[in-house]
Amino acid sequence: MLENEEPSICEEKNYNTLFRKFYEPVTKYIYYKCGNLHQAEDIAQNVFIKLWNLCATVTFSKAKSYIYTACNNLFLNEVAHQKVVLKHQKTVTDHTNYESPDFLIETEEFRVKLKAAINALAIREREVFLLSRIDNKTYKEIAEITGLTVKAIERRMSKALKELRAALGKEIKI
Amino acid sequence: MKNYDTDDTFLGRWIAGELSEGERIAFEKTDAFKQYTIINKEATLLEGPTIDTEAALLKVKSQIQHKATKPKTVINLWYRIAAAAVIIISAGFFLNSSKTYTTAIGETQTITLADGSIVNLNTNSSLTHKRFLWNSNKEVILSGEGYFTVKKGNGFKVNTSKGTVSVLGTEFNIKDRTLFQVKCYKGKVRLNTNDNAYTLTKGMQVTIKNKATEETIFTEQKPSWKSGISTFKDTPIHIVLEELSLYFPISFNTKNINTTRLFTGNFNHNDIETALKTTLLPMGISYKKSEKENNYILTE
Repeated sequence: MLENEEPSICEEKNYNTLFRKFYEPVTKYIYYKCGNLHQAEDIAQNVFIKLWNLCATVTFSKAKSYIYTACNNLFLNEVAHQKVVLKHQKTVTDHTNYESPDFLIETEEFRVKLKAAINALAIREREVFLLSRIDNKTYKEIAEITGLTVKAIERRMSKALKELRAALGKEIKI
Repeated sequence: MKNYDTDDTFLGRWIAGELSEGERIAFEKTDAFKQYTIINKEATLLEGPTIDTEAALLKVKSQIQHKATKPKTVINLWYRIAAAAVIIISAGFFLNSSKTYTTAIGETQTITLADGSIVNLNTNSSLTHKRFLWNSNKEVILSGEGYFTVKKGNGFKVNTSKGTVSVLGTEFNIKDRTLFQVKCYKGKVRLNTNDNAYTLTKGMQVTIKNKATEETIFTEQKPSWKSGISTFKDTPIHIVLEELSLYFPISFNTKNINTTRLFTGNFNHNDIETALKTTLLPMGISYKKSEKENNYILTE
């Protein structure tokens, strides 16, 4: 038997590590699906409470997969789905400029429409799109979270982009 | 060659920077490329929600029992079992809780039960039934006197101190005082006492007095108390006095009279003076108030 066993989640120190590492991303992941931050936090907190109760049976390396799967399952049981409320980063917006002869778009108006279009995406495309674009997750990570293949993520990402262009293409005059 | 429109992973691979050189160069020449570039650029400027991980950790910690040692977990489990038991038991009590209607002296009350049956509760009486699920077991407990108008339907039962009266769509009066009496005004009722069973149809009554049971008939159409009158026929005076003290908040000092003498007549529930006169004077009994409140001394 190997000496270097995995750290036990039943030890508070290790539990805290997992919490600090995964609470925020998993909450965001659920938020991108349901659009209700309060609900997303509730789901994530319930899962972490369960994780504590199951600390003896879930190994440290399996914790991430457990957390995401359990959150996803809890989400599926929740009924109320709302719109995702997203904000543009205030700091960066000022540096963006499309006043080049190539692109003529009304930035503020365009952003409002972009958010509406993202909300109009199906949940499975929206979650992939936002995990990639906002949380900078690689397709491999997203595949791991959602339990899909990288190929499927590429397809969902492509579909999301196509739908966004279909909704917004006429706003961007070239 | 497949392009962004025909290849369903193309745009996804473009975002990830995984297009081949040829694919990329061809794509960058299209107008669609420019639109996708703006959409992508704007999307990456979006922000997710702000999440306070430390506050959430505190919240979660407050909800979980600290210390993860095995025995503690076992105890927690027992706590949980105990808590569940408390909830189940209290839910049981709650579901089993009962509702009681009580009338004070001189008061009557009309009660409509869940199945539409009506109970006219006479003075100084009470009626109790289960608050929930009563329809599955239509039992009521009566003490005192009540007139029952029972809707057709099975299993209506009245429990009294002397026995159970079971019903099938009928009207009847139960009086459970010193004198116990069931009178059937309509339909059919059954009286089960500890040692006997009686079936009563319209106009029949069973009277239990000092353990002696008597089956007789009567002619009145409804109990006289419902018209505000108490009627007696060859009734010992102590029963009449008891009846008086049920309708009026009074008591009697009877040590100077013979309470076994029989009285025939009635009294009205409206007025105490008239009631005393109509019952006591024909018997040659005089009465006067004693020093005790609401107490009358009777003399022959």
